[in-house]
Amino acid sequence: MSKRYYTLFLAVVLMMLMSISTAAQERTTIRWFVGLGAGTDAPQIEAQEAIVEEFNNSQDEIELVLEIVDNDQAFGILSTQIAAGNAPDIVGPVGVRGRSNFPGVWLDLTELLESTNYDLTDFDPDLVEFYNIEGEGQIGLPFAIFPSFLMYNEELFDEAGIPYPPRNYGDPYVDWNGEEREWNMETLRELAMILTVDGEGTDATMDEFNPDEIVQFGYGTQYTDIRGRLTLFGAGSFADEDGNAQVPEHWQEGLDWYQKAMWEDWFYPNGVYGGADFMGGGNWFESGNMAMVTIHLWYLPCCTWGLEGVDYQLAPVPSYNGVTTAKMHGDTFSIMESTDHPVEAFEVLTYLLGEKANELATLYGGMPARLSLQPDYFDTIGQNDPLAGRDLNWDIVVAGMAYADNPSHEGPLPNLLEAEDVYNTWTGNLDNDPDFDLDAGIQELIDALQDVFDEAQ
Amino acid sequence: MDMVSAFSEVRKERFSWRNWSPARRREALWGLGFISPWLIGFLIFYLAPMIASLVFSTMNFELTKPDGATFIGLQNWQRLLNDDTMWLAMSVTFVFAIISLPIGMISAFLLAVLLNSANLMGRSLFRTLYYAPTMVPLIASTLIWAQVLNPSDGWINRFIEIFGFDVRGVDGLRWLNDPAHPNLVFIAYSFIGLWTIGNAMLINLSALQGVPSELYDAARVDGASWLNRLWSITIPMVSPVIFYNLVLSVIGLLQYFIVPWVLTGGSGDPEGRTMFYMIHFFKQGFIFNKLGYGATLAWLMFAVALVITVMLFGSARYWVHYAGDSRS
Repeated sequence: MSKRYYTLFLAVVLMMLMSISTAAQERTTIRWFVGLGAGTDAPQIEAQEAIVEEFNNSQDEIELVLEIVDNDQAFGILSTQIAAGNAPDIVGPVGVRGRSNFPGVWLDLTELLESTNYDLTDFDPDLVEFYNIEGEGQIGLPFAIFPSFLMYNEELFDEAGIPYPPRNYGDPYVDWNGEEREWNMETLRELAMILTVDGEGTDATMDEFNPDEIVQFGYGTQYTDIRGRLTLFGAGSFADEDGNAQVPEHWQEGLDWYQKAMWEDWFYPNGVYGGADFMGGGNWFESGNMAMVTIHLWYLPCCTWGLEGVDYQLAPVPSYNGVTTAKMHGDTFSIMESTDHPVEAFEVLTYLLGEKANELATLYGGMPARLSLQPDYFDTIGQNDPLAGRDLNWDIVVAGMAYADNPSHEGPLPNLLEAEDVYNTWTGNLDNDPDFDLDAGIQELIDALQDVFDEAQ
Repeated sequence: MDMVSAFSEVRKERFSWRNWSPARRREALWGLGFISPWLIGFLIFYLAPMIASLVFSTMNFELTKPDGATFIGLQNWQRLLNDDTMWLAMSVTFVFAIISLPIGMISAFLLAVLLNSANLMGRSLFRTLYYAPTMVPLIASTLIWAQVLNPSDGWINRFIEIFGFDVRGVDGLRWLNDPAHPNLVFIAYSFIGLWTIGNAMLINLSALQGVPSELYDAARVDGASWLNRLWSITIPMVSPVIFYNLVLSVIGLLQYFIVPWVLTGGSGDPEGRTMFYMIHFFKQGFIFNKLGYGATLAWLMFAVALVITVMLFGSARYWVHYAGDSRS
């Protein structure tokens, strides 16, 4: 090869390399932040990485980068990234509470939905509207929903010799005498007391019951704050229509119910027992020492690994004053308003919510929001551990959607972060102080919340 | 020429770059080169953030709304004075320091004396065992303590019950959250603090090993008791190390955060007794995202820590004995 051809050959190779490198550089980087909700467990991380790789291999315009942050740190890290002008492009899965903690930072998708003629017919219109926030716009699209239900430990019912809760919404509870009772909070209370047992095997309905040595509890509203707990008594909010602090009447009745449940009837774990080792350090139902809990769908794939060999089943959420409210969690993916690449981010978003919706929803344990994917969902989730081999009453989960809470128990409040701190601290007193003056306490809560709400203005 | 002018001339002569020989200049450049990593690190990671935080303290800077930050002058400082939670947090921090400091300091010292004793068999083993808890991450050990102190099934209450006391359950010893006896939590936290005295113990131990044995021999000849020797020889001889531990402990207590945060999540339960200053600061700055006010809180604590440290150094001349120093 002559010197000239050799030089030419090298120049061509160099140009090819440069063009390849330029093409690689031209890819738009889209950062996907995971941590505000599900997606941080080891198996989920692996699966998400595979999805990212598949997306990156499927096209050459966008480089999707996954950023996974531990849930405990996610709020702080995302806040810091926003403050530093280094926010990610897409955040999710994220629930109502996660989004509410960052008001005003999400992109309104309305224009993108219109310009791309995005097909929304596969979603329940009410659910699409759920993500249309006043003053912020369409900040997300439905991805996965997590209805709530009552879970009960069949073995503890068998041990107590009492029949299981009903199998369908609207069915009565048939008690040990064969009598029908309305499946409501009062019936739940009676069952829960029978199922609460001390070290001597005495239950909470008996005079000789020793509340200092409880070894098994009857009922708990697990993994939620006081707003979630009170939603069993009906949907509500700590802010009225004018933005003033309130504790709705039915929530005040709910607070009275919880206080008695913890300190008089003893069937609900108070602060003394709530974090105890024998109560699973907070995962009450998984401990095997809790007869009934109300919980969301995400709990089943995430937190029931310790229940191998224990028979449990799903049942309707009991009603209060004739109204049933099964609180709902809904996850989505949102684009941050600060993104420099909204079109590319939207393309990724539609990939995650479209092609990968079923895979991701199954991975996170949520029911796909897409109507076309819902029929097969329970077959899929039921085949995977820790649910494989169980014949769970999935109809309850689907039926629970009709009783979703509106307003949401995770909905926005003025100055939400500080308001949360106020009512969580207040709940700590309710849960820990047997002599807590509830009436005075409710007024103190309203006053403290009002102060925080006023600060927002 | 008066004394001040003379000193000024000497200083000029000594530090003026122009008066230096080439060799000295080269040496100085090499010196600067060697310490530059530390200097650059200090400037970027300490000085710059400190200046930034001082600027933030004059702004209504919210972490999630950086574009909305505006200059508000001294309003954050004004708010500080009217912040009831800040005063509560400051008082809680000081009360806990007063309770916990002597417990931690005395325990670490006495443990070191014990582990330095010639009469103790298996000294190396005991030294390792007593230091070992320090190697466990504090968050992990705090979570373990939460269970150990659990009122219904914790080991401590179960142990006390062996002696016939009914201390479990709702009316029992609720170490970490008893609204009826909220101050009990200070004892519990001090107890947890003992888990981490390994470092202080080790430093005390090294100081004890440096005390000349001749002093003890002489004291024994004079008929001094163990207590006399401890009071008149050991403590004065290791007082610089006690002082060092004291300063570190005070600063550590003013920054007390991990244990209450892990155990309460910053709720302040029971009855606000665990609303330590750093908890309040962290919540304002990084939970409520009010970084401007958080920076103000941080600067106040810096000022308080500085004053206390200066006071401690001022007191040192009366009780800390430095060998070969005129103060001894």
